Amino acid sequence: MTGTALVELKNLEKEFAGTKALKGVSLSFLAGEVHGLLGENGAGKSTLIKILTGVYSPSAGEIFLEGTPVRVSNPPEAHRLGLGAVYQDAELVSSFTVGQNILLGNEPGWLRISDRAIHEEATAILAEMGIELDASRNAGTLSAAEMQLVTLATLFHRRYKLIVLDEPTARLSAAESEVLFRIIERFKKQGIAIVYISHRLKEVQEICDRATILRGGLVSGTLNRGEVTEDRVTELMVDRNRAELSTYNDGSRVRLDVLLEATNLATTNLSPLSFTIRAGEVLGITGPVGGGMEDVARALGGVVRHTGTVNLRGKAIDVSTPIAARRSGVALIPEDRRKQALFPALSVAENICLPVLNRLERFFTVRPGAMKEYADDVMDQLAVRPRNAAIQVRFFSGGNQQKVVIGKWMSAGASLYIIAEPTNGVDVGAIKEIYDIILQLAQQGAAVLLVSSSLREMLALADRVMVIHDGNRVAEAPKTNWTYDELLAVTLSGKSKTAA
Amino acid sequence: MTQAEQKSLTQVKTMQKSMAKTQPAGRTESVAMRFLRRWGTIIVLVLAAVGFSIASPYFATASNLNNILFSMIVSALVSLGLTWVVISGSFDLSIGLTVTTSSILVAFLIPTLGPWAAIAVALVAACMIGAVNGILVTYGRLSGIVVTLGVMFVLSGINIFITGGYQVPVGYDETAFLYLGQGKLGIIGVPVLILLAVFLVALIAATRTRIGHYIAAVGDNPMAAFYSGINVYRWVILAFVLSALMSGIAGVIVTSISSSAQPVGGEGYLLEAFAAVFLGATVLGKGKPHLLGTLVGVFFLYMVDSGMNMVGFPFAARHIFQGLVLIIAVGANALLNREEVHLKFI
Repeated sequence: MTGTALVELKNLEKEFAGTKALKGVSLSFLAGEVHGLLGENGAGKSTLIKILTGVYSPSAGEIFLEGTPVRVSNPPEAHRLGLGAVYQDAELVSSFTVGQNILLGNEPGWLRISDRAIHEEATAILAEMGIELDASRNAGTLSAAEMQLVTLATLFHRRYKLIVLDEPTARLSAAESEVLFRIIERFKKQGIAIVYISHRLKEVQEICDRATILRGGLVSGTLNRGEVTEDRVTELMVDRNRAELSTYNDGSRVRLDVLLEATNLATTNLSPLSFTIRAGEVLGITGPVGGGMEDVARALGGVVRHTGTVNLRGKAIDVSTPIAARRSGVALIPEDRRKQALFPALSVAENICLPVLNRLERFFTVRPGAMKEYADDVMDQLAVRPRNAAIQVRFFSGGNQQKVVIGKWMSAGASLYIIAEPTNGVDVGAIKEIYDIILQLAQQGAAVLLVSSSLREMLALADRVMVIHDGNRVAEAPKTNWTYDELLAVTLSGKSKTAA
Repeated sequence: MTQAEQKSLTQVKTMQKSMAKTQPAGRTESVAMRFLRRWGTIIVLVLAAVGFSIASPYFATASNLNNILFSMIVSALVSLGLTWVVISGSFDLSIGLTVTTSSILVAFLIPTLGPWAAIAVALVAACMIGAVNGILVTYGRLSGIVVTLGVMFVLSGINIFITGGYQVPVGYDETAFLYLGQGKLGIIGVPVLILLAVFLVALIAATRTRIGHYIAAVGDNPMAAFYSGINVYRWVILAFVLSALMSGIAGVIVTSISSSAQPVGGEGYLLEAFAAVFLGATVLGKGKPHLLGTLVGVFFLYMVDSGMNMVGFPFAARHIFQGLVLIIAVGANALLNREEVHLKFI
C-alpha cells in the first residue's frame, strides 16, 4: 500500500426530491487498497457509488482524483477518468470471444483487425492476472463468474485507477470467490484502488484493508484491518436515531390452518428448503443479495427451474411455470417493478385490471366503464395518487407504481402472495402505506412470503424471520426472538447464534 | 515470482479447474447437432441442386450457372448492403428504392456529365440517403423501421417526380457505360465480376478491419460498446451508408444492363434481400447475418427459381417454395439454438 489518496470525496451531498440520501460524506480511497463499504439499505452506499461512476451528479461537495478536482458528469466520463464499476450482470458482447471483449475499443493496429494479435495480447493479459481462461472462447458460453473475470480483465487492461465491485460474490461459489480474491490481490499490487461493497462480513474481514460504514447518509466510522469485528460493525451500522416505522405486525393475524407447505424446494442457488406458512402469516426471508433468498420467491412464482413439492391447503399445486403458479393461486410481486411487473405505457386502469379482465368481461368484450370502476375502487383502497386511472403508469412515482403492482394482484384472490423487495426505490412517504397494504393482505387470510434485504422491513412486517446465506437456511425464529442487532449479525456472518 | 505467489497461482488454477468441472459452461451438444447447425443450409442447397440436375439435363451446366449468377447480381448487391444494417442491429427498408433512385440519376445525368461523373454523383447521392437514415436512427432517436419506411416513400415520390413516370433511356453510343452491365470477359459477365469484387472488398472490411468488428459489437451489445469507448452512433451510421452505397452500385448496374432506368419496380429487391439475409444467417451455423451467408442465401433463392423454372413449376409455386424454405431454415436454426425463454417477436 502506497498511502497516497487516489480519490478523495469531500462533503458529498445528494438530495432527491427533498430527502437527503447523502448528508456530507468525506472519504478517501488510497492507491492499492481494498476499501470495504458497508451500510444498511438506504444508508447511501449505492448513491455514493453512482456519484463516483457518473450516474448521478452530487448536489454539493467535490471529488478529487489524484489531487485535482474532477467532475464526473456521466458514465463514459467516469470511464475516461479511470473510475469503473463491475456490476453483477456484467456487460459483454456475447458473440465476441473473450479476447475480443477484453480489447474492445483498444484493438492493436490502426484499421486492420487481426484476431491473432488480439488473442495474443488478451492471453498475455489473462496470464498477467492469473486467470486461466481461453481467450478464443466465445463470451456467450461463459458462466456468470467467468463473465465477471473477463470484465475485470477489461478494466485491468485499460489501466483503471479505481474499480467498484458491487456484491461481487453474490453469484459466485466459494471456489470462484477465491479466484476473485486472488485477482483483487493482484490489482492491489498494480496500485489500483478497489471499493468493495458487500454484506458478507467474512469477506470484508478477509480482503479489505479498511472498511467504511455508512449510516443515514453519513460516514459513521472507518475501521482498519483487524478492527472489523461483528460487534464493531453492527454498532456502527445500526442507526439508533432512525425513527421506527409506525407499522408493526403484532402477530394477531396468524390463523391456525397451515396454508402453504413447501418441501425440499431447491434451485441451482438454493439447497433443499422446507417451510410452511399459515393463513394470515407473514414469513420474512432475508440474507445477503444473491445468497439464495431470491430463488425462494422465483421458484414459488414459477419463473426459475426448481425441484421439490408445494402444497396449498394440503393439496399439491403446480408452480412449474408462471402461468401454472398463477392458476394455483400464487401471486408474485417481483423485485424489479419496471422490468417485471409494470406495463409503463399502459394506463393505471389497464395495469390493475390485467389479472381480472375475465371477470370484467361480458360476451368476450370488457364492459365499458367496468375497468375504470374497478381500478378506481382499488386506487381508493391503496391511496394511489394522483387518483386518475387513465394516466400512464410511467408518470407515477416509485411508491405509487408499487401500489399499482400490488393492487394488480390484490383482488385477484391469490392464496399466497410473494412480495420481493417491496420498498426498493420507493419514496419514504409511501413506505408505510405499502407496509399497511401488505398486512392487509395477511388480514384477509392469505399467506404472505416477504423476501427482502431490509432488516427493518423484516422486523416490522414478518411473523417469523428466516435467514438464507449461501443457499442455506442459517436461522429461523419468530420475530419476537430477534433483536435488530442479532438479525444483522446473522445476516452479515452467515452464522447463527440464536438458532431457535 | 515469489514462492508464495506461485503457490497461490497454482491454487487459483486448481480452483478454476474445479470450477470448470462443476459448471460446464455453454451448451453440451452432440457432434451431429453441431454438424447440422453448421452445414444444414449448405446440405439442403446441395440436395436441391442434385435434385434439379436429375430432373433437368439443362440445370447442371456452365451456361445455367452463368445465368443464375447474372440474374442475381442486383439482388445480391442489395442483400449484401442490408446485411451491414441488420448486423448493426437495425432495419433498412429504403434499399429497394435507393436502387431505383441511383439508377434514374445515372441515366438522367449521363447526357450532361458523361458516364463516370454520373456514376460518382449517383453513388454519392446513395451514400447521402444512407447517412440521412443513419443520422435519424441515431441522433434523431427514431426507429430504423419507421425512418427507412418514410425515406422509402419519399424516394418513390422523388423518382416519379424526376422521370414524370417514364423510363429514362441511355444512348446506345455510351458503349463504355453499357459495358459495365452487358460486357463479357470470356464467358463471365462483367457485372458478375463487379459483384465478386464488391463482395470481396466488403468481406475483408467485415472480417479483417475495425469497421466490421465495431459494427458487429454495436449490433450485439450497444451498451457494452458504449462503455468500451466506441462511438456507437458513428458505426451505425456507417452501416446505413454502406447499405445505401451497395444499393447505389446495384442501381448503376441495373441501368447499364437494361440501357435504361425504370421509375418503379425497385421495391421487389427489398423483400428478396430480407429473405436472403435471414436465410444467410443460418449458413455455417452463425445464427446472425454475415456477408458470405447472405451471398449463399441469394444464390439459393435464384438457384431454386431457375431449377423450378426448368422442371416446369408454375411461377406461383416458386414463391410458395421460397417462402417455405426461408421459414424452415430459420425455424430449424432457432430449434438448434434453443433459448431458455423466448420473448422477442421481431
